[in-house]
Amino acid sequence: MNWRIRLTWWDTLLLAIMACGAVFALVRYAGGIGSIANINNAYPWGWWVGYGIMTMVAVGGVGFTITALVEILGAHRYHPFLRPAVLMGLLCYSSAIIMLMVELGRPWMVWMILISWAPTSALYEVGWCAFLYLNVLVLEFVQVPVEQLGWGRLLRVLRAIYIPIMLLGVTLSHLHQSSLGTLMTLLPHKVNVLWWSDLLPLLFLFSAIMAGPAMAILEHLAAARWLGFAPRLDLLAGLARIEAWLVGLFLTFQMGDLFYRGAAGAMLSGTWFALSFWVEIGFGLLLPFVLLLLPEVRESRRGLATACGLVVAGVLLHRLNVAVIGLRVRHWESYIPSLGEISITLGITAGVLFAFGWLARILPIHAELPPPQTSPHPATQPTSALRGTEGAA
Amino acid sequence: MTTPTVQPKAMIQDNTRCIGCRACMVACKSWNDRPADHTDFFAGAGYQNPRDLDANNYTLITFNEITTGATPDWVFGRQLCMHCDHPACASACPTTALYKTPLGPVVFDESRCIGCRACMQACPFIIPKYDYENFAPKIHKCTFCADRLEVGLEPACAKVCPTDAITFGDRDDMVTEAKRRIATAPGTYIPEIYGLDEVGGTSVLHLSSVPFEQIGYITGLPKTPMPDLTHRWLRLTAPVFALLYGLFGALNWIVRRRMRRQGHGGETT
Repeated sequence: MNWRIRLTWWDTLLLAIMACGAVFALVRYAGGIGSIANINNAYPWGWWVGYGIMTMVAVGGVGFTITALVEILGAHRYHPFLRPAVLMGLLCYSSAIIMLMVELGRPWMVWMILISWAPTSALYEVGWCAFLYLNVLVLEFVQVPVEQLGWGRLLRVLRAIYIPIMLLGVTLSHLHQSSLGTLMTLLPHKVNVLWWSDLLPLLFLFSAIMAGPAMAILEHLAAARWLGFAPRLDLLAGLARIEAWLVGLFLTFQMGDLFYRGAAGAMLSGTWFALSFWVEIGFGLLLPFVLLLLPEVRESRRGLATACGLVVAGVLLHRLNVAVIGLRVRHWESYIPSLGEISITLGITAGVLFAFGWLARILPIHAELPPPQTSPHPATQPTSALRGTEGAA
Repeated sequence: MTTPTVQPKAMIQDNTRCIGCRACMVACKSWNDRPADHTDFFAGAGYQNPRDLDANNYTLITFNEITTGATPDWVFGRQLCMHCDHPACASACPTTALYKTPLGPVVFDESRCIGCRACMQACPFIIPKYDYENFAPKIHKCTFCADRLEVGLEPACAKVCPTDAITFGDRDDMVTEAKRRIATAPGTYIPEIYGLDEVGGTSVLHLSSVPFEQIGYITGLPKTPMPDLTHRWLRLTAPVFALLYGLFGALNWIVRRRMRRQGHGGETT
């Protein structure tokens, strides 16, 4: 099989961003975290954890969401989305691990989690689950290259263990997506009342699930555009219907939680927190919800890209609001991410995109999709109610 | 063990007796071998120096300008690790690098630390600090002189305090003593012991002549242990794992059976 690809202009751009991030990473290792980062004694996590770990793990939830939709809820027509979703999950989790290697003060000690017993620590659970789930993703995805290489015996083994491994992956994802939220429940004194909730574990889990179909739709549209596949607009419309349900349910859940906690008054407080909250709710949930309810949006590429882009951006903002923007310490110090912090995360994200583009061109990730020009305008029959409800169940 | 007893220890920090001499800060630096810093006079509470706890300063006397009578006056406060009975930092640590000893100190084991800084994030008193400039950084905070306690000595700060603003002893005795002081001099003290039941109780008990928020203390903390917040979720981990795995397995089995009947292979990825 051929591992080489012809670099396009956007490959080159991504490589340049990666190189830039690598330079800052070198400075970080040579001079310590303090040499490039603004994180400090009051704000020890900042952008690296809020974006590089929490957001990347949340959007990496696309792997388990689509797997669950297809394999556990039995919506088999979405099978063409499975391989891209697993690859996205694998790359997002890998990027979180790479981020961890930059962000940890003593990255060479990270194995210590695996020989510790710390059941009171949410981070301990996150660490174990993410470690195991990364292995699951590798075992799931490696079938594709193994199949290409024609290693029949290994492929048979991988297929034989697929079901229990896949179930393990979906279960572990539920646990650690929620325990990232558990981590933040320990900080009622730091996280603004708009976001701190007893139910943060469930909010984190549901928002990661919500990001799943949106990521799958965005990937599909991007692959269709840049890798030259004909998009399955019928399937996208079905996924969009599921997404509308998920966004609507999450919006209800988040607002219900806010009112139940009696914190809704903070929405009208006229602070930067309230503004950030309104942006999160308005542009990340309300607007895409309304858009996804419209059939013409669900059936147009631009409409889908806009609505799903807003959903993913909303999840990003939710994680940032919980872990960075809404987290305030009454202290001398303040925090704004430095150029170095941002450059390293951009470099890692560029690496994810580059790796995806490369693998999608050398491996049959989108093999189930029709080649271009077969049906530029697939039948846009109204998707039946059954389609939406079955997946959202 | 050279300690005669495993009674948990505590310190009273009686801010009404503090004269702001900062001998505790010097003794702390000396015992813990922390380097001197170059500091500057700064705007605001500039006499307080350094501004804040950091990797080189495990305790700090805060200078608070408060107008009680006709003229402004210094009212001192003190920052140091509270050594919680149920420490949030230790509960957050994924490698048990932080733990509470039977005598009371919450101590840090450098050899287990991965540098995730979850302890710094978790601490409701904003105490653990980090040396970000270091290639192999460590968590820095007051140790309650755990090494001194082990051999039956009192903490360095309590040893040097010239006005007995710092009193060390068994926690039960210290609670009794703090209550006695408030009861015998109600005009001197506000009727509150900071640390008696903050976040479930701590090994440092602060007394003050003015409300604690006026001298920079973090108030409004819950009276229940912080680790309870995460424990109620984390204790569900094993049952939820079993439940979800079983549920997903059952659903997957149904789906595959249905597909076999429909003539699909049930083939996956």
